[in-house]
Amino acid sequence: MLNGIFSVEFVNSILRATTPILFATMASAVAAKAGICNMALEGMMLLSALFGVLFSALGGGIFGTASGFSQFASFGFGFLLTVLVGGVIGLIFAFCILHMKADEILAAIALNLIASGGTVMLLMAVAGEKGASSSVASVAAPKVVIPLIGSIPVLGEILSGQNLLTWLSILAVIVMHIFLYKTPMGLKIRAVGENKNAAESVGISARKIQYIALVISGMLASMGGFYLSGGYMNMFTREMAAGRGYIALAASSMGADTPVGGFLVSILFGIAQAVANLMQLTTIPMQLIQMIPYLTTLIGLGIYSYARMKRRRKLLQSE
Amino acid sequence: MKKLVALLLAGAMAFSLAACGKSSGDEGNKAASGTEGGSKEEGGSEEDGSKEQESGKPYKAAFLVNGNLGDKSFYDSANEGLTRLKEDLGADVFDFKVEEMGGDPADEANWEPTLLDYCDTGEYDVIIIGTWQMYDALNTAYEMYPDQKFIFFDEPFDFEAAGNPDNIFNMMFKQNEVSYLVGAGAALMTTSDEMEGIDPSNSIIGFLGGMDGILINDFLVGYIQGAKDVNPDIQVAVAYVGDYIDSAKGKDLSLTQFQNGADVSFNVAGNAGLGLIEAASESGKYAFGVDSDQAALLPDYAASIPTSALKNIGNALYLAIQEDMEGNLQYGTTQSYGFAEGGVGLVLDAHYEEVLPESIRTKLAELQASIENGDIVVNSAYEMTTEEVEEVVNSVKIQ
Repeated sequence: MLNGIFSVEFVNSILRATTPILFATMASAVAAKAGICNMALEGMMLLSALFGVLFSALGGGIFGTASGFSQFASFGFGFLLTVLVGGVIGLIFAFCILHMKADEILAAIALNLIASGGTVMLLMAVAGEKGASSSVASVAAPKVVIPLIGSIPVLGEILSGQNLLTWLSILAVIVMHIFLYKTPMGLKIRAVGENKNAAESVGISARKIQYIALVISGMLASMGGFYLSGGYMNMFTREMAAGRGYIALAASSMGADTPVGGFLVSILFGIAQAVANLMQLTTIPMQLIQMIPYLTTLIGLGIYSYARMKRRRKLLQSE
Repeated sequence: MKKLVALLLAGAMAFSLAACGKSSGDEGNKAASGTEGGSKEEGGSEEDGSKEQESGKPYKAAFLVNGNLGDKSFYDSANEGLTRLKEDLGADVFDFKVEEMGGDPADEANWEPTLLDYCDTGEYDVIIIGTWQMYDALNTAYEMYPDQKFIFFDEPFDFEAAGNPDNIFNMMFKQNEVSYLVGAGAALMTTSDEMEGIDPSNSIIGFLGGMDGILINDFLVGYIQGAKDVNPDIQVAVAYVGDYIDSAKGKDLSLTQFQNGADVSFNVAGNAGLGLIEAASESGKYAFGVDSDQAALLPDYAASIPTSALKNIGNALYLAIQEDMEGNLQYGTTQSYGFAEGGVGLVLDAHYEEVLPESIRTKLAELQASIENGDIVVNSAYEMTTEEVEEVVNSVKIQ
């Protein structure tokens, strides 16, 4: 068990588990900052997981998969198209709740249900299969091998050979942080989320800002979805998002809907998952082990609300 | 913020509800398991079913699928068996109708009404349904239509609790027997020096289950017994995904097993099991398939899949309906179909011969013969308490 924890493989398994949640957490954070609870993340991820497979296979058909470069081109084509479609899904979702004034929760549930049935239908139509996309020749995201650093023991082994999307997810945290806190658009998003009326009173179109936030949210969620079927696994399997969208929602809110906070919580979830995986090898009863990720969530939420309560009290006292 | 927390709670509840939905089936299993666990007992009353074969009026069966055909597994197997019977006997002797009721949550509400509609027509000599998901619907139907005969497969029916109805034939499969063979195969493989990618120095094998329930554990108990019989020092890394859909988690769990010395594993986890197959392929190790010929279904990964464990529902239906036509089918009882009845089996094709060395294949054939003639009795989780199953699992845990 201890040997298992202090191994490169353990770190890798944390990163594998964290990556999709991290993307979705960023997606949730940007929507939440604009004042929308994006519960449709689950469906967005699931749809993108399927589109990722189909589009990268399409890319493979156009660019081929013979050389390293053509493989990268196929992946890139599939990835960009998936992210584009993710943005469109975000746009459709935004249209439903902003333009048509549908309840955001109901619209999200509808989208999640559509994703769950629609992916199977689409898979059946395109590949003639119902369970998995094993017959589709998709192209997974490449692993990033860093020449010199890779030969450093332990640290090098961790840094080199990670999936490109894992790096991209970490990059997304930095970009989202800068975007939300250092750019005018970020300020507008936060203003709308904080108080829609106040924002509109200074001439910001709240609807436009929320549209933009949801499109970004959809794009980020679709990156997480792509990773599921083109990184974590190398095929799409039915219902493969398996609740990660909801976990991300929790991670984001635990991280106070900030990119950095969400990042830390996502890593915490990743660690909990990896520990639980490893512990299945021990004699500790399975039921207890399967509780770990959820227990972590509960404890995390407890700590978070305690800290918030304390801060609030301090504020009250200082006034 | 309050809203968010409320939402999260709602999400969590939805989750736990979903989890309950799954596990309640397992519990249904468990509750029913004590009473009949695969034994062939006589039910309360004898069916005096000398069904006259009036000329021109064929024996008609209705097969209600609580899902869709095309699953390349369960339902397709049943459909194949019925089709074969129709071809062999001729449409004027036996005919059947398949109704695909759909497997999405939205379709579930229609299952019971559809079943009752079919009962109501009175046209069918037997109605075939299966899996724990149809248990409640059957419970309603058999009481309302005491003259309608049912074949109910792959879930134990609790005859005692239901007051020994004599219009249900309960068809079970000895997955523990085919698992025994898989376990023996895995144990032989992990110490073999004839196979690529296998480290013969340790005797660790893996097992990836969907949920910790009695059906999965029936596979597990047989698997461990088979492995232990050919190698008493075998160690088995057992992991459960916790659902049947999270293939990525299945892959992670399997990678952990392979990294900790396992060379061969067995997936009994629905779609989540595909994660194991990918992990095996990536690690250059091996994974046994389940329910359908996964080596044929997943050509890219076939080299890692020596063979798959099958439940031949089609074979069992073929036999049972013929018995029923002769008036010999024991309604009111549970019957288990194992190797001897052709109800379960491994895929023994050219691919199998290609992947597995001859010495292992010979040994497996011997073991199968011993199971068929009763020299080896494979334990079943349906006849064990939860504690006993745990004991079995702990006896082979990695130290």
